[in-house]
Amino acid sequence: MKKTLLAAGVAIAVGSIAGIALAQVKPDVLVKQRQAVMTLQGKYFGPIAGMASGKVTPYNADVVARSATYLENLAQMPWDGFHENTKGEKSRALPEIWSQKAKFDELAQRLQTETAKLAELARAKDAAGVKQQYAAVGKVCGACHEGFREKQ
Amino acid sequence: MSRTSPATAGLLLFLAATLCFAQGDAKRGEYLAKAGGCLGCHTVEAKDAKDKPVPYAGGRALKTPFGTFHGPNITPHPEAGIGRWSEADFMRAIREGRRPDGSNYFPAFPYPSFTLITDADLRDLWAYLRSLPQSSRQSEPHDLGFLYRWRFLVSFWKWLFFEPGPFAPEPAKSAQLNRGAYLVRALGHCGECHTPRNFLGGPKKDRFLAGAKDIAPNLTPTRVGKKGDGELKEFLRTAMTPDGDVAAESMAEVVTNTTSQLTPQDLDALVAYLRSLPPLPDEAK
Repeated sequence: MKKTLLAAGVAIAVGSIAGIALAQVKPDVLVKQRQAVMTLQGKYFGPIAGMASGKVTPYNADVVARSATYLENLAQMPWDGFHENTKGEKSRALPEIWSQKAKFDELAQRLQTETAKLAELARAKDAAGVKQQYAAVGKVCGACHEGFREKQ
Repeated sequence: MSRTSPATAGLLLFLAATLCFAQGDAKRGEYLAKAGGCLGCHTVEAKDAKDKPVPYAGGRALKTPFGTFHGPNITPHPEAGIGRWSEADFMRAIREGRRPDGSNYFPAFPYPSFTLITDADLRDLWAYLRSLPQSSRQSEPHDLGFLYRWRFLVSFWKWLFFEPGPFAPEPAKSAQLNRGAYLVRALGHCGECHTPRNFLGGPKKDRFLAGAKDIAPNLTPTRVGKKGDGELKEFLRTAMTPDGDVAAESMAEVVTNTTSQLTPQDLDALVAYLRSLPPLPDEAK
Protein backbone atom coordinates (compact mmCIF):
# COMPACT_ATOMS: atom_id res chain seq x y z
CA MET A 1 0.00 0.00 0.00
CA LYS A 2 2.76 2.33 0.99
CA LYS A 3 4.58 1.43 -2.21
CA THR A 4 1.59 2.27 -4.39
CA LEU A 5 1.28 5.61 -2.68
CA LEU A 6 4.95 6.27 -3.23
CA ALA A 7 4.67 5.26 -6.89
CA ALA A 8 1.73 7.59 -7.32
CA GLY A 9 3.69 10.38 -5.67
CA VAL A 10 6.67 9.78 -7.96
CA ALA A 11 4.36 9.72 -10.97
CA ILE A 12 2.89 13.08 -10.00
CA ALA A 13 6.35 14.51 -9.33
CA VAL A 14 7.69 13.29 -12.68
CA GLY A 15 4.58 14.62 -14.37
CA SER A 16 5.03 18.03 -12.84
CA ILE A 17 8.74 18.12 -13.79
CA ALA A 18 7.71 17.33 -17.36
CA GLY A 19 5.13 20.06 -16.99
CA ILE A 20 7.78 22.56 -15.99
CA ALA A 21 9.92 21.54 -18.94
CA LEU A 22 7.01 21.89 -21.31
CA ALA A 23 5.99 25.32 -20.11
CA GLN A 24 7.82 28.07 -21.96
CA VAL A 25 10.35 29.29 -19.43
CA LYS A 26 11.92 32.56 -20.52
CA PRO A 27 15.45 32.02 -21.90
CA ASP A 28 17.01 34.58 -19.57
CA VAL A 29 15.47 32.80 -16.58
CA LEU A 30 16.79 29.45 -17.79
CA VAL A 31 20.29 30.96 -17.96
CA LYS A 32 19.97 32.37 -14.45
CA GLN A 33 18.79 29.02 -13.14
CA ARG A 34 21.56 26.97 -14.68
CA GLN A 35 24.14 29.51 -13.50
CA ALA A 36 22.72 29.21 -10.00
CA VAL A 37 23.21 25.44 -10.15
CA MET A 38 26.78 25.87 -11.33
CA THR A 39 27.47 28.31 -8.50
CA LEU A 40 26.09 25.86 -5.96
CA GLN A 41 28.11 23.00 -7.45
CA GLY A 42 31.17 25.14 -6.79
CA LYS A 43 29.96 25.82 -3.26
CA TYR A 44 29.77 22.13 -2.42
CA PHE A 45 32.71 20.92 -4.48
CA GLY A 46 35.00 23.47 -2.80
CA PRO A 47 35.09 21.89 0.67
CA ILE A 48 35.37 18.37 -0.74
CA ALA A 49 38.36 19.34 -2.88
CA GLY A 50 39.89 21.34 -0.03
CA MET A 51 39.70 18.45 2.44
CA ALA A 52 40.53 15.72 -0.06
CA SER A 53 43.65 17.57 -1.18
CA GLY A 54 44.71 18.23 2.41
CA LYS A 55 44.54 22.00 2.02
CA VAL A 56 41.69 22.24 4.53
CA THR A 57 42.30 20.31 7.73
CA PRO A 58 41.04 18.36 9.53
CA TYR A 59 39.17 16.09 7.14
CA ASN A 60 35.54 16.08 8.22
CA ALA A 61 33.78 13.01 6.84
CA ASP A 62 30.33 14.37 7.74
CA VAL A 63 30.85 17.62 5.84
CA VAL A 64 32.24 15.68 2.88
CA ALA A 65 29.28 13.26 2.87
CA ARG A 66 26.77 16.09 3.05
CA SER A 67 28.50 18.17 0.35
CA ALA A 68 28.91 15.17 -1.96
CA THR A 69 25.22 14.30 -1.65
CA TYR A 70 24.23 17.87 -2.51
CA LEU A 71 26.67 17.80 -5.42
CA GLU A 72 25.28 14.52 -6.70
CA ASN A 73 21.81 16.06 -6.83
CA LEU A 74 22.99 19.37 -8.28
CA ALA A 75 24.85 17.57 -11.08
CA GLN A 76 21.50 16.47 -12.52
CA MET A 77 20.02 19.95 -12.63
CA PRO A 78 21.83 22.26 -15.05
CA TRP A 79 21.26 20.42 -18.30
CA ASP A 80 17.68 21.31 -19.27
CA GLY A 81 18.79 24.91 -18.76
CA PHE A 82 20.92 24.62 -21.89
CA HIS A 83 17.83 24.84 -24.07
CA GLU A 84 18.26 25.88 -27.71
CA ASN A 85 16.27 29.01 -26.99
CA THR A 86 19.04 30.30 -24.69
CA LYS A 87 21.59 30.46 -27.53
CA GLY A 88 21.22 34.21 -27.93
CA GLU A 89 21.44 35.01 -24.19
CA LYS A 90 24.51 36.68 -22.75
CA SER A 91 26.53 34.06 -20.88
CA ARG A 92 29.80 32.20 -21.14
CA ALA A 93 28.09 29.20 -22.74
CA LEU A 94 29.62 28.59 -26.18
CA PRO A 95 27.63 27.66 -29.33
CA GLU A 96 29.53 24.33 -29.36
CA ILE A 97 27.07 23.15 -26.70
CA TRP A 98 24.49 22.85 -29.47
CA SER A 99 26.77 22.17 -32.45
CA GLN A 100 28.55 19.33 -30.59
CA LYS A 101 25.58 18.22 -28.60
CA ALA A 102 26.55 14.54 -28.39
CA LYS A 103 29.89 15.40 -26.77
CA PHE A 104 28.27 17.88 -24.40
CA ASP A 105 25.60 15.37 -23.38
CA GLU A 106 28.22 12.72 -22.80
CA LEU A 107 30.15 15.01 -20.43
CA ALA A 108 26.91 15.96 -18.68
CA GLN A 109 26.21 12.26 -18.17
CA ARG A 110 29.75 11.63 -16.98
CA LEU A 111 29.45 14.35 -14.36
CA GLN A 112 26.35 12.66 -12.98
CA THR A 113 28.06 9.26 -12.93
CA GLU A 114 31.23 10.53 -11.27
CA THR A 115 29.44 12.65 -8.66
CA ALA A 116 27.21 9.67 -7.82
CA LYS A 117 30.31 7.55 -7.23
CA LEU A 118 31.81 10.33 -5.11
CA ALA A 119 28.65 10.62 -3.01
CA GLU A 120 28.56 6.88 -2.44
CA LEU A 121 32.17 6.83 -1.24
CA ALA A 122 31.59 9.90 0.91
CA ARG A 123 28.53 8.43 2.59
CA ALA A 124 30.47 5.21 3.24
CA LYS A 125 33.07 7.48 4.98
CA ASP A 126 35.74 6.11 2.64
CA ALA A 127 38.25 8.97 2.86
CA ALA A 128 40.84 7.27 0.64
CA GLY A 129 38.20 6.63 -2.02
CA VAL A 130 37.00 10.25 -1.84
CA LYS A 131 40.57 11.48 -2.27
CA GLN A 132 40.79 9.60 -5.57
CA GLN A 133 37.28 10.22 -6.81
CA TYR A 134 37.19 14.00 -6.26
CA ALA A 135 39.92 14.30 -8.88
CA ALA A 136 37.78 12.37 -11.38
CA VAL A 137 34.93 14.81 -10.74
CA GLY A 138 37.25 17.81 -11.16
CA LYS A 139 38.46 16.34 -14.43
CA VAL A 140 34.94 16.24 -15.88
CA CYS A 141 34.31 19.84 -14.76
CA GLY A 142 37.50 20.93 -16.52
CA ALA A 143 36.81 18.87 -19.64
CA CYS A 144 33.47 20.61 -20.13
CA HIS A 145 34.87 24.06 -19.30
CA GLU A 146 37.49 23.51 -22.01
CA GLY A 147 35.36 23.48 -25.14
CA PHE A 148 31.97 24.62 -23.93
CA ARG A 149 32.62 27.64 -21.74
CA GLU A 150 34.14 30.91 -22.87
CA LYS A 151 37.57 31.57 -21.40
CA GLN A 152 37.12 34.69 -19.36
CA MET B 1 76.78 16.34 26.47
CA SER B 2 78.38 15.12 23.29
CA ARG B 3 80.01 17.60 20.99
CA THR B 4 80.97 17.32 17.36
CA SER B 5 84.46 18.57 16.85
CA PRO B 6 84.85 21.51 14.47
CA ALA B 7 87.00 19.34 12.21
CA THR B 8 84.29 16.68 11.83
CA ALA B 9 81.65 19.34 11.22
CA GLY B 10 83.88 20.91 8.58
CA LEU B 11 84.40 17.58 6.87
CA LEU B 12 80.66 16.86 6.84
CA LEU B 13 79.95 20.27 5.37
CA PHE B 14 82.60 19.72 2.71
CA LEU B 15 81.12 16.32 1.80
CA ALA B 16 77.61 17.75 1.60
CA ALA B 17 78.79 20.56 -0.65
CA THR B 18 80.61 18.14 -2.97
CA LEU B 19 77.55 15.91 -3.20
CA CYS B 20 75.38 18.87 -4.05
CA PHE B 21 77.65 19.82 -6.91
CA ALA B 22 77.94 16.28 -8.23
CA GLN B 23 74.16 15.71 -8.39
CA GLY B 24 72.91 19.26 -8.36
CA ASP B 25 72.57 19.92 -12.04
CA ALA B 26 70.13 17.20 -13.06
CA LYS B 27 68.13 17.92 -9.93
CA ARG B 28 67.92 21.62 -10.75
CA GLY B 29 67.11 20.59 -14.31
CA GLU B 30 64.18 18.55 -13.07
CA TYR B 31 62.72 21.64 -11.41
CA LEU B 32 63.36 23.70 -14.53
CA ALA B 33 61.65 21.06 -16.68
CA LYS B 34 58.58 21.42 -14.45
CA ALA B 35 58.74 25.21 -14.64
CA GLY B 36 59.02 24.81 -18.41
CA GLY B 37 56.01 22.49 -18.59
CA CYS B 38 57.91 20.12 -20.93
CA LEU B 39 55.73 17.20 -19.84
CA GLY B 40 52.61 18.79 -21.31
CA CYS B 41 53.57 18.24 -24.94
CA HIS B 42 56.16 15.51 -24.60
CA THR B 43 53.96 12.93 -22.85
CA VAL B 44 50.75 11.32 -24.07
CA GLU B 45 47.56 11.82 -22.11
CA ALA B 46 46.60 9.07 -19.70
CA LYS B 47 43.58 7.22 -21.07
CA ASP B 48 42.19 6.50 -17.60
CA ALA B 49 43.24 6.52 -13.96
CA LYS B 50 45.27 3.30 -14.34
CA ASP B 51 47.08 4.33 -17.53
CA LYS B 52 50.56 5.68 -16.71
CA PRO B 53 52.22 6.95 -19.90
CA VAL B 54 56.03 7.09 -19.93
CA PRO B 55 57.06 10.68 -19.12
CA TYR B 56 58.86 12.54 -21.92
CA ALA B 57 58.37 9.65 -24.38
CA GLY B 58 56.32 11.97 -26.57
CA GLY B 59 53.03 11.76 -28.33
CA ARG B 60 50.69 14.53 -27.19
CA ALA B 61 48.71 16.02 -30.07
CA LEU B 62 48.61 19.82 -30.21
CA LYS B 63 45.83 21.02 -32.49
CA THR B 64 46.49 24.39 -34.14
CA PRO B 65 44.98 26.25 -37.10
CA PHE B 66 48.01 25.04 -39.10
CA GLY B 67 47.63 21.35 -38.34
CA THR B 68 48.20 18.87 -35.56
CA PHE B 69 51.64 18.64 -34.01
CA HIS B 70 52.88 15.70 -31.96
CA GLY B 71 55.46 16.28 -29.25
CA PRO B 72 58.40 13.91 -29.89
CA ASN B 73 60.16 11.46 -27.59
CA ILE B 74 62.90 13.37 -25.71
CA THR B 75 64.23 10.51 -23.60
CA PRO B 76 67.88 9.50 -24.21
CA HIS B 77 66.97 6.53 -26.44
CA PRO B 78 69.50 6.57 -29.33
CA GLU B 79 66.94 5.94 -32.12
CA ALA B 80 63.50 6.84 -30.78
CA GLY B 81 64.66 9.71 -28.56
CA ILE B 82 67.48 12.23 -28.51
CA GLY B 83 70.20 9.90 -27.19
CA ARG B 84 72.61 10.78 -30.00
CA TRP B 85 72.39 14.51 -29.40
CA SER B 86 75.23 16.54 -27.95
CA GLU B 87 74.70 19.27 -25.41
CA ALA B 88 75.36 21.79 -28.22
CA ASP B 89 72.57 20.19 -30.31
CA PHE B 90 70.18 20.66 -27.40
CA MET B 91 71.21 24.25 -26.76
CA ARG B 92 70.79 25.10 -30.45
CA ALA B 93 67.38 23.41 -30.58
CA ILE B 94 66.08 25.53 -27.74
CA ARG B 95 67.95 28.78 -28.33
CA GLU B 96 67.67 28.89 -32.13
CA GLY B 97 64.80 26.54 -32.96
CA ARG B 98 67.05 24.36 -35.10
CA ARG B 99 67.29 20.61 -35.39
CA PRO B 100 70.71 18.96 -35.23
CA ASP B 101 70.70 18.80 -39.06
CA GLY B 102 70.22 22.58 -39.16
CA SER B 103 66.61 22.62 -40.39
CA ASN B 104 63.90 24.55 -38.57
CA TYR B 105 61.54 23.43 -35.87
CA PHE B 106 57.97 24.50 -36.31
CA PRO B 107 57.20 27.17 -33.71
CA ALA B 108 54.63 24.83 -32.15
CA PHE B 109 57.77 23.99 -30.19
CA PRO B 110 57.81 27.19 -28.14
CA TYR B 111 61.40 28.22 -28.83
CA PRO B 112 60.34 31.85 -29.30
CA SER B 113 59.88 31.74 -25.49
CA PHE B 114 62.52 29.14 -24.64
CA THR B 115 65.23 31.11 -26.43
CA LEU B 116 65.18 33.33 -23.33
CA ILE B 117 66.34 30.46 -21.06
CA THR B 118 69.85 31.12 -19.76
CA ASP B 119 72.84 28.96 -20.71
CA ALA B 120 73.26 27.70 -17.15
CA ASP B 121 69.61 26.60 -17.00
CA LEU B 122 69.87 24.92 -20.40
CA ARG B 123 72.83 22.89 -19.19
CA ASP B 124 70.90 21.76 -16.11
CA LEU B 125 67.90 20.85 -18.26
CA TRP B 126 70.16 18.84 -20.53
CA ALA B 127 71.68 17.02 -17.55
CA TYR B 128 68.17 16.15 -16.38
CA LEU B 129 67.01 14.89 -19.78
CA ARG B 130 70.14 12.72 -19.99
CA SER B 131 69.23 11.15 -16.66
CA LEU B 132 65.77 9.96 -17.82
CA PRO B 133 65.16 6.28 -18.54
CA GLN B 134 65.21 5.50 -22.25
CA SER B 135 61.95 4.82 -24.02
CA SER B 136 61.75 3.21 -27.45
CA ARG B 137 58.36 4.76 -28.17
CA GLN B 138 58.36 6.08 -31.75
CA SER B 139 57.54 9.75 -32.20
CA GLU B 140 54.48 10.39 -34.34
CA PRO B 141 54.74 12.53 -37.49
CA HIS B 142 52.97 15.89 -37.54
CA ASP B 143 49.76 16.17 -39.52
CA LEU B 144 49.94 19.59 -41.12
CA GLY B 145 47.89 21.63 -43.58
CA PHE B 146 49.02 21.69 -47.21
CA LEU B 147 50.95 24.96 -47.09
CA TYR B 148 52.57 24.43 -43.74
CA ARG B 149 54.48 21.23 -44.41
CA TRP B 150 57.68 22.87 -45.58
CA ARG B 151 60.12 23.56 -42.83
CA PHE B 152 62.04 26.07 -44.95
CA LEU B 153 59.01 28.36 -44.89
CA VAL B 154 59.57 28.59 -41.15
CA SER B 155 62.73 30.62 -41.93
CA PHE B 156 60.47 33.38 -43.18
CA TRP B 157 58.33 33.11 -40.04
CA LYS B 158 61.42 33.28 -37.87
CA TRP B 159 62.69 36.31 -39.75
CA LEU B 160 59.42 38.07 -39.00
CA PHE B 161 58.72 37.00 -35.44
CA PHE B 162 61.69 35.33 -33.79
CA GLU B 163 64.41 37.07 -31.79
CA PRO B 164 66.95 34.59 -30.45
CA GLY B 165 68.91 35.31 -27.29
CA PRO B 166 68.76 34.72 -23.55
CA PHE B 167 66.76 36.75 -21.06
CA ALA B 168 68.42 39.97 -19.97
CA PRO B 169 67.31 41.12 -16.51
CA GLU B 170 66.28 44.76 -16.25
CA PRO B 171 68.58 46.33 -13.64
CA ALA B 172 65.99 48.99 -12.79
CA LYS B 173 63.56 46.32 -11.61
CA SER B 174 63.72 44.22 -8.46
CA ALA B 175 65.21 40.74 -8.45
CA GLN B 176 61.74 39.36 -7.76
CA LEU B 177 60.19 41.04 -10.81
CA ASN B 178 63.05 39.84 -12.99
CA ARG B 179 62.63 36.31 -11.70
CA GLY B 180 58.89 36.51 -12.35
CA ALA B 181 59.48 37.81 -15.87
CA TYR B 182 61.90 34.96 -16.52
CA LEU B 183 59.43 32.36 -15.23
CA VAL B 184 56.52 33.76 -17.26
CA ARG B 185 58.29 34.71 -20.47
CA ALA B 186 61.06 32.11 -20.75
CA LEU B 187 60.35 28.86 -18.91
CA GLY B 188 56.60 29.09 -18.42
CA HIS B 189 56.05 30.22 -22.04
CA CYS B 190 52.67 31.61 -20.87
CA GLY B 191 52.51 33.94 -23.88
CA GLU B 192 52.31 31.03 -26.31
CA CYS B 193 48.63 30.67 -25.39
CA HIS B 194 47.84 33.93 -23.56
CA THR B 195 49.19 36.33 -26.21
CA PRO B 196 47.01 36.74 -29.30
CA ARG B 197 48.47 35.83 -32.70
CA ASN B 198 48.10 37.37 -36.14
CA PHE B 199 46.98 35.42 -39.23
CA LEU B 200 50.53 34.10 -39.76
CA GLY B 201 50.59 32.69 -36.26
CA GLY B 202 53.01 35.36 -35.08
CA PRO B 203 52.50 36.80 -31.60
CA LYS B 204 51.14 40.35 -31.40
CA LYS B 205 53.92 41.74 -29.27
CA ASP B 206 52.09 44.93 -28.28
CA ARG B 207 49.34 42.71 -26.83
CA PHE B 208 51.61 40.52 -24.66
CA LEU B 209 49.51 38.30 -22.34
CA ALA B 210 46.34 40.25 -23.19
CA GLY B 211 44.51 36.98 -23.90
CA ALA B 212 43.65 35.15 -27.11
CA LYS B 213 39.99 34.84 -27.95
CA ASP B 214 38.59 31.32 -27.39
CA ILE B 215 42.01 30.07 -26.32
CA ALA B 216 43.24 31.70 -23.14
CA PRO B 217 42.23 34.71 -21.04
CA ASN B 218 43.85 38.07 -20.42
CA LEU B 219 46.58 37.90 -17.75
CA THR B 220 47.24 41.63 -17.51
CA PRO B 221 45.91 43.61 -14.50
CA THR B 222 42.76 44.47 -16.50
CA ARG B 223 41.47 41.06 -15.50
CA VAL B 224 43.88 39.63 -12.96
CA GLY B 225 43.98 42.91 -11.02
CA LYS B 226 40.58 42.23 -9.49
CA LYS B 227 41.79 39.04 -7.85
CA GLY B 228 43.76 39.03 -4.61
CA ASP B 229 47.23 37.46 -4.30
CA GLY B 230 45.82 34.63 -2.22
CA GLU B 231 43.15 33.80 -4.77
CA LEU B 232 45.61 33.89 -7.68
CA LYS B 233 48.12 31.71 -5.90
CA GLU B 234 45.49 29.25 -4.80
CA PHE B 235 44.30 29.00 -8.39
CA LEU B 236 47.85 28.35 -9.59
CA ARG B 237 48.30 25.66 -6.94
CA THR B 238 44.95 23.88 -7.21
CA ALA B 239 43.32 24.91 -10.55
CA MET B 240 40.33 26.02 -8.48
CA THR B 241 39.04 29.36 -7.29
CA PRO B 242 37.99 29.80 -3.65
CA ASP B 243 34.33 29.66 -4.75
CA GLY B 244 34.82 26.19 -6.19
CA ASP B 245 35.04 27.06 -9.88
CA VAL B 246 37.24 24.59 -11.77
CA ALA B 247 39.70 25.63 -14.49
CA ALA B 248 39.36 24.31 -18.01
CA GLU B 249 41.31 21.14 -18.76
CA SER B 250 44.28 22.70 -20.54
CA MET B 251 45.04 25.15 -17.73
CA ALA B 252 44.34 22.50 -15.09
CA GLU B 253 47.12 20.52 -16.71
CA VAL B 254 49.49 23.49 -16.59
CA VAL B 255 48.67 23.82 -12.89
CA THR B 256 49.35 20.14 -12.25
CA ASN B 257 52.59 20.00 -14.25
CA THR B 258 53.99 23.44 -13.62
CA THR B 259 52.55 26.11 -11.38
CA SER B 260 51.67 23.82 -8.45
CA GLN B 261 55.29 22.56 -8.55
CA LEU B 262 56.89 26.00 -8.19
CA THR B 263 58.57 27.01 -4.95
CA PRO B 264 56.58 29.57 -2.90
CA GLN B 265 59.17 32.23 -3.80
CA ASP B 266 58.84 31.53 -7.51
CA LEU B 267 55.05 31.60 -7.31
CA ASP B 268 55.26 34.97 -5.52
CA ALA B 269 57.60 36.26 -8.23
CA LEU B 270 55.26 35.05 -10.97
CA VAL B 271 52.26 36.81 -9.43
CA ALA B 272 54.27 40.00 -8.75
CA TYR B 273 55.35 40.08 -12.39
CA LEU B 274 51.79 39.66 -13.69
CA ARG B 275 50.74 42.55 -11.45
CA SER B 276 53.48 44.74 -12.93
CA LEU B 277 52.30 44.29 -16.54
CA PRO B 278 50.66 47.21 -18.35
CA PRO B 279 46.87 46.68 -18.23
CA LEU B 280 45.58 45.83 -21.71
CA PRO B 281 41.95 45.50 -22.79
CA ASP B 282 40.56 42.13 -23.90
CA GLU B 283 40.42 41.26 -27.59
CA ALA B 284 37.37 42.59 -29.40
CA LYS B 285 34.64 39.96 -29.44
